[in-house]
Amino acid sequence: MKRRDFIKDLALGSLLLKVNPSLLAQDKNAPDLAWIQGDSPSLITREAISSLGGMNRFVSRGDVVVVKPNIGWDRTPKLAACTNPEVVKTLVELCLAAGAKEVKVMDNPCNPARRTYVRSGISEAAKEAGAKVLLPNPHRLKKMALNGEWLKEWRVYTDFVEADKIINVPIAKTHSLSRLTMGMKNWLGAVGGNRNQLHQKLDQAMIDLASFFKPCLTVLDAYRILIRNGPQGGRVSDTKLHKTVVAGVDYVAVDTAGATFFDLGPQELPYLRVAHQKGFGETDLEKLIIEKRTL
Amino acid sequence: MKKERSKKYRVIQAVRILSQSIFFILFFYLLLATHFPGEDYIGRVEVFFHFDPLLAIATFIASRAFYASFALGASTVVLTFVLGRVACGWVCPLGSFHQFFSFIFKKSKLLKPKKNGDNRTAWKYYLLIFILVGTLFSLDLVGIFDPLSLLYRSFVASILPAISVGFSAFIGLLYQINISSLGDSLVQFFENLAVNSVFRQGFFLGVLFIGILLLNLSRERYWCRYLCPLGAFLGLISRWNVMKLKIDPKKCIDCWLCTIHCQTQARPYPEEDWKSSECVYCYTCSSICPTSAISFPVKSTPEEIVKVDLSKRKLIFTALLGIAAIPFFRLSPSTRRASPKLIRPPGALPEKKFLQKCVKCGECMKACPTNGLQPALAEAGPEGIWTPILVPKIGYCEYYCSLCSQVCPTGAIQELAVMEKTKIKIGLAWVNKNTCIPYNLGTPCIVCEEHCPTSPKAIKLVKTEVKLPDGTIKTPVAPIINTDLCIGCGICETKCPVVDEPAIYVTSVGESRSETNQLLLDIIKGEDELF
Repeated sequence: MKRRDFIKDLALGSLLLKVNPSLLAQDKNAPDLAWIQGDSPSLITREAISSLGGMNRFVSRGDVVVVKPNIGWDRTPKLAACTNPEVVKTLVELCLAAGAKEVKVMDNPCNPARRTYVRSGISEAAKEAGAKVLLPNPHRLKKMALNGEWLKEWRVYTDFVEADKIINVPIAKTHSLSRLTMGMKNWLGAVGGNRNQLHQKLDQAMIDLASFFKPCLTVLDAYRILIRNGPQGGRVSDTKLHKTVVAGVDYVAVDTAGATFFDLGPQELPYLRVAHQKGFGETDLEKLIIEKRTL
Repeated sequence: MKKERSKKYRVIQAVRILSQSIFFILFFYLLLATHFPGEDYIGRVEVFFHFDPLLAIATFIASRAFYASFALGASTVVLTFVLGRVACGWVCPLGSFHQFFSFIFKKSKLLKPKKNGDNRTAWKYYLLIFILVGTLFSLDLVGIFDPLSLLYRSFVASILPAISVGFSAFIGLLYQINISSLGDSLVQFFENLAVNSVFRQGFFLGVLFIGILLLNLSRERYWCRYLCPLGAFLGLISRWNVMKLKIDPKKCIDCWLCTIHCQTQARPYPEEDWKSSECVYCYTCSSICPTSAISFPVKSTPEEIVKVDLSKRKLIFTALLGIAAIPFFRLSPSTRRASPKLIRPPGALPEKKFLQKCVKCGECMKACPTNGLQPALAEAGPEGIWTPILVPKIGYCEYYCSLCSQVCPTGAIQELAVMEKTKIKIGLAWVNKNTCIPYNLGTPCIVCEEHCPTSPKAIKLVKTEVKLPDGTIKTPVAPIINTDLCIGCGICETKCPVVDEPAIYVTSVGESRSETNQLLLDIIKGEDELF
């Protein structure tokens, strides 16, 4: 390498460091959102990622990746309270295929983790794919500066902070306070402390947390969505088979897309509106390049 | 004459120690294995208790109902009838525990074994009689003194939690000195053991248990020799004792070593003093004898019935005392009004029946995935001490879990399939509008509603007008309970963000098991249509 090239690279590199990492992953040819429908949760997940340009776009060789599903409740997959295990499994496989050194799967659930991990089917599925499935470790909680609008600091699991890449894999469900819980709400499962007090300004907490964690990719599982009695449901009749995943870098856009499954839009979901105003993402689906396909 | 210790009996002694270790490990393993196994149903982790004939008989008499699993206790009875108290010497995990500490105390010269016997060995028989007299009147105190219950309860509610807290501090240290990878794997290992580490009487139960261990400083196997009612019971039914102590007078040098070191004061020397009902067949005497004078040849003549100095006067006195004590145990306000904090695990029998069967072992508290089941102190009256109650401030009843009902060794909590369990009410939740966040501050919260596991949810959110101190009015949604749907699981109370005194709380009223602890008369519901 010539000295001139080295200095050029250095200058370019230091410039890029200041940019949001998700911008680095931007690919001119790839769509903003992949919106894939089909019978197999694993195939539609695979298709969504390849539509976005493949997992190599997000995960580099040697990366430690944390995949964050919603494993919040002691409910089986047919009750649609936790992320579909097949979707999680596929993502883990794709990360490892892309050269990830290690893929960790974890969540801080509402019911005891040992139950939710098993009964959601996620523990077994993720382990099969080669992931390290971790029960939340209280010793890894650390008070960190979030520098959010409302949350200045909070106790966060350092696994997420120390990872090279974070992939968010929420499920789409109703929720009585934020109306819907999808990608941005999912970050309440990455923190500790008295999380239940976050509900006092939930919308702002969601925005602060999402902008802190900055996932490199959000894959919304809407294979079976929870349309009633959220966020836990309890009966199969509370769920609706939607057979879709929506994936994208822009987490606000992914949540906006997910809201359409419930016939809701940013006008009904203040957290999306505010997140858009703050410049965290797009809520006007018209402005996005969306690759919509049915397998 | 050759002076030599008996090789044969030293081998037997070694085998006995091996047997004790195996059974202790088995007991401890089953204890550790009593947690969510990854599926709805857990195996018979409580099986140790079913070999305990004292629990079988006491719960049988107290509840006037035989619990089939206790049939296993017959094997212990037969074993004891034929061989004597080998179960005490070779199997009982609490006995092994005491013997281990006695051994340590002896080796460290903290305990100096004494030559002279005393008649305190009779205490355990009086205690047994006291307990059994109570059961005749359906007062079941056996669980307080039964060695298996005592050991299990102490481990679950005190020893393991203490280890867990200590271990956690150690792991914290590992993180501080940056050996976090080791910390990580230890945490994952420990989390998977699912040890419940918060118990209200943990300290008290620990002091009791350690106190009982420290008694070994005074006499070897103090508990077994003076106090254990199961030991007394087995002593009474040991009849044949086919292995009989024999001292060869030609070899005996009258050194008294056998009697000094006898673990349970069975007094092998002089031979005619030997009490077969006190002997636990540990073979310490025969292996310690410097001249191999002691042997246990098989002889099939029955023993005389109980060579214990139980005076008739004292027997009658104890029985009368037992009867007189019963009403004292029933001096509880819960006879007037149901106790609101007496929230029993789902499947628990009606209170009266429950108390007759519960042996206070702590199996259910070990199995509980949320640590919510706690030993009662006064909630259930004096006779209900250490019986399980749900304390939702600590942990709640997991919706799809019926483990406590599966591990109960006596059927005090009836075994339930998971789907049956979800329909049982153990109490009802109430909102304390005085402290509830939306009702007072007009601030949104909904945490209780979010966690409510029933479908449809038993907690409804309703727009409510709230007046703030500055006179402005806010209309947040606030929780209201649908008592028809509420099952009293208590997750709302556990998760309530009002940290000190939850603004939503569960009381026992409405529990399915009680006919009287109800809010509304069911009749009214049906007759509504008539008017």
